[in-house]
Amino acid sequence: MLTEKILFYVFAAILIFAASMVVTVRHSVRAALFLVLAFFTAAGLWLMLHAEFLAIVLVLVYVGAVMVLFLFVVMSVDLDQGRLREGFGRHMPVGLLVAGVVIAEMVSILSIDQLAIVAPESATVAVNNVEAVGQLLYRQYIYPVEIASVILLVGIIAAISMTLRGRRQSRYIAPAEQLAANKRDRLRVVDLREPASTDSSAESKGDDN
Amino acid sequence: MVTLADFLVLSAILFAISALGIFINRKNLIVLLMCVELMLLAVNTNFLAFSYFLGDLHGQIFVFFVLTVAAAESSIGLAIIVLLMRNRGSINVQDIHELNG
Amino acid sequence: MEFSTQELIPVLPEITLLVMASVVLLVDLFAPGKERVGTYTTSMLALALTALVSVYSYQGEQLVFAGHHQSDGLSLVLKLAMVIAVAVVFLYGRGYLAVRGLLNGEFFTLSLFGLLGMMIIASAGSLLSLYLGLETLSLSLYALVGFDRRSVASSEAAIKYFILGALASGVLLYGISILYGVTGTIQTAAMQMEIQAVLTSAGQYQMLLGLGVVFVVVGAAFKLGAAPFHMWLPDIYEGSPTAVTNYLGTASKLAAIALVLRLFADVLQPLIHQWQPMLMLLAVASLAVGNIIAIAQTNFKRMLAYSAISHMGFVLLGVLVGTGAGYSASLFYMITYAITGLAAFGLIMLLSRLGFEAENLVDFKGLAQRSPLMGLVVLLVMFSMAGVPPTVGFFAKLAVIDAVIEQGFAWIAVVAVLFSVIGAFYYLRVVKLVFFDGVEDPSPLVSSWDERFVLVLNGLFVLVLGLFPGKLLEICNQVFTGL
Repeated sequence: MLTEKILFYVFAAILIFAASMVVTVRHSVRAALFLVLAFFTAAGLWLMLHAEFLAIVLVLVYVGAVMVLFLFVVMSVDLDQGRLREGFGRHMPVGLLVAGVVIAEMVSILSIDQLAIVAPESATVAVNNVEAVGQLLYRQYIYPVEIASVILLVGIIAAISMTLRGRRQSRYIAPAEQLAANKRDRLRVVDLREPASTDSSAESKGDDN
Repeated sequence: MVTLADFLVLSAILFAISALGIFINRKNLIVLLMCVELMLLAVNTNFLAFSYFLGDLHGQIFVFFVLTVAAAESSIGLAIIVLLMRNRGSINVQDIHELNG
Repeated sequence: MEFSTQELIPVLPEITLLVMASVVLLVDLFAPGKERVGTYTTSMLALALTALVSVYSYQGEQLVFAGHHQSDGLSLVLKLAMVIAVAVVFLYGRGYLAVRGLLNGEFFTLSLFGLLGMMIIASAGSLLSLYLGLETLSLSLYALVGFDRRSVASSEAAIKYFILGALASGVLLYGISILYGVTGTIQTAAMQMEIQAVLTSAGQYQMLLGLGVVFVVVGAAFKLGAAPFHMWLPDIYEGSPTAVTNYLGTASKLAAIALVLRLFADVLQPLIHQWQPMLMLLAVASLAVGNIIAIAQTNFKRMLAYSAISHMGFVLLGVLVGTGAGYSASLFYMITYAITGLAAFGLIMLLSRLGFEAENLVDFKGLAQRSPLMGLVVLLVMFSMAGVPPTVGFFAKLAVIDAVIEQGFAWIAVVAVLFSVIGAFYYLRVVKLVFFDGVEDPSPLVSSWDERFVLVLNGLFVLVLGLFPGKLLEICNQVFTGL
């Protein structure tokens, strides 16, 4: 029991440290690496919460795929590091104050006696976590699973449609469009004549130039 | 003994740190995205803690879906960043004054 | 738990739309062309089929798929309204986008997938399907806003919308996680009962519930664009292509009312004493910010954005009353606002041509002389938004104020009326520009006959609904008679 408590505090400390580094470190690549550390630590904590399947998914999907994508973008996009963080400290005091107050408030609500419950006696379960999650997912949660598949499809369409540089992006001349263009589309005749009373003054100004 | 409150306080702190990150990192879009990921991590930890201490597996399922959505979301976010980068050659939020908001 | 094919019937509208959206995706691949005739026709067919299936597959209140999908009167009415709104968006948007070389298949497919998300929200039976529907809609919207790849304003609007939308989802989810922790369920009906049970038992869990409610309200307010969480709205409205703004400002507002009603009228109903003051604050702030800042706008799209904020305030007024009458008034308000908004954005698109966006207020000067029919549409739309009888906007405001006074919130009704009067100023200013100012831009209006026809029809509909609001009001009331 004591080891469990020690483990929790070690993991929690690393997680909070990594999270604060993500938001404060100057370099985007370092921030991404600290986020990887945060995900690994969180996976450890999730194992303590008997969510083995999700802990593995977190490492595989997040560290393996999403964070690699992040690093890929960070490295391919040319970042002007110096400018990105200038004036960084300006919002820091206010931000810290607000965050401190929020944490204090939430902690005061969350640490009420009733929440100091200990874990239920881990009864020997008939099936392992992966199987239990799978059973639920494909029986009771089949409708959300289908929606999730739609979300992934939307993600694919959106990401491709925004970043694809197909032939539409290349500069070409559309003869049909050129022929269809008429004077009205390109030229708008605006009446610049001044009202009659100021007519003479406008003319004299013109002469000066 | 680790209690439910311990986990809840941990994820509350994590949530506050990520909110602070969004507040102070208004310049670097990629770090902003990372803060959003961190916020979802806090939410997920909250769900799993409740799920474990309630002895109810449904919270884990919810986390599964949040993870799926967050992965799709971050891919779209990165696509927008790449698009913006191509259009403007900078992802500094300060430079975004095309729209005065 | 045995699955029976009977369970598929209430989900048929969603299935139809999903299949048809995938068909549109394929048709677009094999039928290219600048006008996208094939894609457009298939999309319209998809919408027509979805509407038909929604009506004919409806079998009364049903809860299927382990309670994740709920079909009732509310979901049916909202789905039909959403489908019609999206159809009108396509109709107005097609010519506008084609002229600008923006008419890609993605506009149609993403809009259809977004519609699917809205429908999932409308018939969400659990907080999980609510969240997933919301994300389906949001992800489609992020891509749609940034859909003009060459425009800097469009991609900047997309990133702003994305960051704030993701933040809002995070906050909303945190609230949902606390609600789940206290009640131990994510089904709306079961959660409502559990909350009731927690409230009757003396304990400290009530405080925890309060914390959850705060996060849910803040997250929802971000998504709705209610003040003081409205900062993103005007920029997004201005930055995105007008066809997308139309989608955002009308169809997705129907999803917003679905979200609010599913959250507050279903799940959180027992906690009304906790969220009522919060919504009151949001509503009054939205009315104030929307109506006052709109006066200073010179851009018509930005003005409509602030007007949307103030209308959202009105809708929240109806919701915070917490009675069936209030909810149905809000529903009526939102549906009629969507109809009016469609006409307003349709006007901008019809007046625009290549290389010219009719989005500034001065572009409307003397419109009545250029085209009396368009002038009439502007008149009807602005009167309806300002709440001038006999247009439908008047009855919508009346219904909300009626419900508010009935519950003894007279001072809120006074505040709402006061801000509406302030708001009437900038709506009537547009009418003045159209009818009493000289023409600045005498170029003839170019638009196809079907767009003009629908726009005039749309404008007249605002008037006809105002003259005979009884039927729609009755439908909205029937939806909530169970409450």
